Amino acid sequence: MSIYTRTGDQGKTSLFSGERLYKDNIRVRAYGEVDELNAVVGLLAAVLPAGCDETARQLARIQSDLFHVGGWLAAVPGSEARQRLTAITPEFSGRIETWIDAMQNHLPELKVFILPGGHPGAAQAHVARTVGRRAERAVIALVRQEETAQADPSLSAVVMFLNRLSDYFFVLARYLNKKAGVPDTSWNS
Amino acid sequence: MSITPSHYQLTVTALQWLSADTFELRFDRPEGFSYEPGQKIGFRHQDVYRDYTLLGPPQAPELAICARRLDQGRFTPLLAAARPGDRFEVSAPSGYFTFQSASRPAVFIASGTGITPFVAFTRAGVRGFELLHGARAAAELYYSRELAPAARRYVPCLSAEPSARTYPLTFHGHVTQYLAQALPAGIYDFYLCGPGDMIREAIQIIDARFDGSRVFSELFY
Repeated sequence: MSIYTRTGDQGKTSLFSGERLYKDNIRVRAYGEVDELNAVVGLLAAVLPAGCDETARQLARIQSDLFHVGGWLAAVPGSEARQRLTAITPEFSGRIETWIDAMQNHLPELKVFILPGGHPGAAQAHVARTVGRRAERAVIALVRQEETAQADPSLSAVVMFLNRLSDYFFVLARYLNKKAGVPDTSWNS
Repeated sequence: MSITPSHYQLTVTALQWLSADTFELRFDRPEGFSYEPGQKIGFRHQDVYRDYTLLGPPQAPELAICARRLDQGRFTPLLAAARPGDRFEVSAPSGYFTFQSASRPAVFIASGTGITPFVAFTRAGVRGFELLHGARAAAELYYSRELAPAARRYVPCLSAEPSARTYPLTFHGHVTQYLAQALPAGIYDFYLCGPGDMIREAIQIIDARFDGSRVFSELFY
């Protein structure tokens, strides 16, 4: 089975809800950024230090949730297609908050800025954090555009989830460095 | 809590040839098996995977698919040789190529055995659509007798039989030629099912001629 259909060679793509949009459309860009974040999380999972089974399970769940988010963004509000999808709810970010709290219990309070890096897993968690922030900005741009067109209140749960995810990846970077015995590097301005 | 199985064992009940190379295969319906019109099941044979759309109707006591036997194919000769009692393992129904009601007129475009999801839609009660039914010859307009009465306009598009006129609106050429030349300008919901070349060409025409339309497509290989 061929992966290429050539149906997008003219610069347009079809949403899950059927609309034809140019690939630089803000909605396409938003779910594209979420897709990139998912790929980055996959790489992060591949370079975790030994003994991080619980983190691996969390990342697998995050990847699944990001698929739901991508699908949600790929269908316009009010469409029948959306009714077939898993709605994004505050529970998505609630789950992340629980994981953040659990990791922070193992970490000293942070009083200085730290440089992104350390163990390869931690460095990759910082990449996930920044890519997640970009995805969040893209969704906020979509929200702001929708406010003037067709309001989509469900996107607030998406923004909340992406915002919380970036916090999670920051804490995870510190957690992974601690697990791997690599000290965080303070920023000496 | 009930858990939906990921695979089912289907037992063949009948095989009926629709033409020299195309056949309908029917199976017993396993307990608890449910699907939405337009969804497909996946067959696995050694390292070969093939998807086929269920014809419906979804509440029928039997399941049915339609396939074209390819002499050099790696799976369809096996399927075409099936006998009642033979068993096949299939994946649970999946897919998103389902009918979505809308105020816009629906245009279904199919070629070859790509007609199967539209048979499923029709058997589930969808009516009032325009159907561009592509085939080489009139004898390959499978299921036309049940599709034509359900359609608002039924347009057979025959690419290799220039003189045939089985239905009043018969068009001589490919479905994409009809789309480019004869379908009135407007905003539609297009549903496309067929080989990649047809789908790609149709989408280019839709982008050029029917701006603002929605497109749902299902490729088969």
